[in-house]
Amino acid sequence: MSIRTIVLSLAGTFMLCVALPSHSQDKDLLERIKEKKEIVIATEARYAPFESVENGKIVGYDEDLMNYVLKALPGVKVTQLDLPFQGLLPGLDAKRFDLVVSAATVTKDRVNRFAFALPVADATTGVLLRANDHSIKSPSDLNGKVVGSQVGAATLLALIAYDKKLKEEGGPGVKEIKQYVGFDEAYADLAAGRLDAVAQSVPNLGPLLKARPGVFAVLPATIGPKTYFAWAGRKDADSASLVKLFSDGIARANHDGTMKQLQMKWFGMTMDVPSDSMPTPTM
Amino acid sequence: MSAPDLLARCLGYAPQLLDGAVTTLYLSLIAVVCGFFAGVFIHVLSASHNRLLAGFARTYVSVIRGTPMLAQLLVFYYVPTALGLPLPGVMSAAIGLSLNTAAYQSQILGAGFRSIPRGQIEAAQTFNLTRRQALWHIEIPQVVALTLPALVSEMIDVVKATAVVSVIAVTDLMRVGQQLASVSYRPLEVYTLAACYYLAITTLLSLAGRALERRIARRT
Repeated sequence: MSIRTIVLSLAGTFMLCVALPSHSQDKDLLERIKEKKEIVIATEARYAPFESVENGKIVGYDEDLMNYVLKALPGVKVTQLDLPFQGLLPGLDAKRFDLVVSAATVTKDRVNRFAFALPVADATTGVLLRANDHSIKSPSDLNGKVVGSQVGAATLLALIAYDKKLKEEGGPGVKEIKQYVGFDEAYADLAAGRLDAVAQSVPNLGPLLKARPGVFAVLPATIGPKTYFAWAGRKDADSASLVKLFSDGIARANHDGTMKQLQMKWFGMTMDVPSDSMPTPTM
Repeated sequence: MSAPDLLARCLGYAPQLLDGAVTTLYLSLIAVVCGFFAGVFIHVLSASHNRLLAGFARTYVSVIRGTPMLAQLLVFYYVPTALGLPLPGVMSAAIGLSLNTAAYQSQILGAGFRSIPRGQIEAAQTFNLTRRQALWHIEIPQVVALTLPALVSEMIDVVKATAVVSVIAVTDLMRVGQQLASVSYRPLEVYTLAACYYLAITTLLSLAGRALERRIARRT
């Protein structure tokens, strides 16, 4: 094979790749999903009770709610991918999937870049402690402590903002903020004594306390502003009708009591979630 | 923590981990086999008299060896999509791992090729064997026999390198471990068990490699 053949065939392959997506652009994403009878959903399935894997299947609050919403798309097959949280929003951006159905906290940055459906749960940051550690009684006791959270998570932002606030109030601030790839490793380090506290959204903490009784405790007060979990789509005209279909479905679940019922099932408590519009994030 | 409880929990994790182990194993096997042929191809290029082809092969090897596996996988997952050709995660992983191990295998094989006496090739030419026949029937069997220990060690490296494929939505052994750790809130025991699965896979591979070595040693 001569060099010219190699170069020409490579160039041909490249042109083919570029030419491929040009057709079918007159239909929007929702129409293409209905036509293909397949929707590709991305999830980070290690965030119990929102999403986790049991017996090889993704289960959880988001999964149940998603299946409720998808009743509006009969006959459409769901292809659900599981990947680390840090890959979810970049992959959505790169059009690897149609929608992210995973508990993502709505923040200012994310709202600017992605189109969120209506919120599905409260995401305000709580403080998880070791049950035998009695030195932390209020959020301000985090001065001088080592606190962990997850890379890319909004609770990390809340923690950083709270640390700043502690310093503005004249305290020494948090001693060190440790960033983990997943919350599970942070919990393990807290139990092992390498951390004094973990900043994590309140709905996630209930099931953890139940699964490991006597190991952890939760501070009654929360830190940072009120935030919400929601599912994200791409912020373009192509995705608009799909995001609206999900928003409508979530609003329906909120009104007919399905949402409260699923919250009792997965969190053991209920929370108020706005059903008309997404509150503007302050963080 | 009582021992029977621990054992019962570990048995509970086993079926899912086995699923993940199957994914890890077949990805590794595809990568090692495709990587072997691609490795031979790269070696042939680098040994060619055409300076452009030889330069391409050298650049390829240094790019692959000089960048992290994780970054390579992300490139093979996201770049085709940007060009309008969305490959499934498993396929991107297979391609990425194959091209990665091809660079390493070409270096291992290169050492083997260099140790074959020039006279054998000349003899093959005298017998009217084409360059390709000489490569597959005379050089490669000897090269494989010579470099087998290094190839097996590379195979074990590939198995361990697959542990990062979950970033491109492939549910391998490591990802199953993460999923189980998340549900059970007991990462220590889940990850220890996952490590045992990796050890089992790599031990089997090195035992198979040693058996093959002994077979070859008996024949020659």
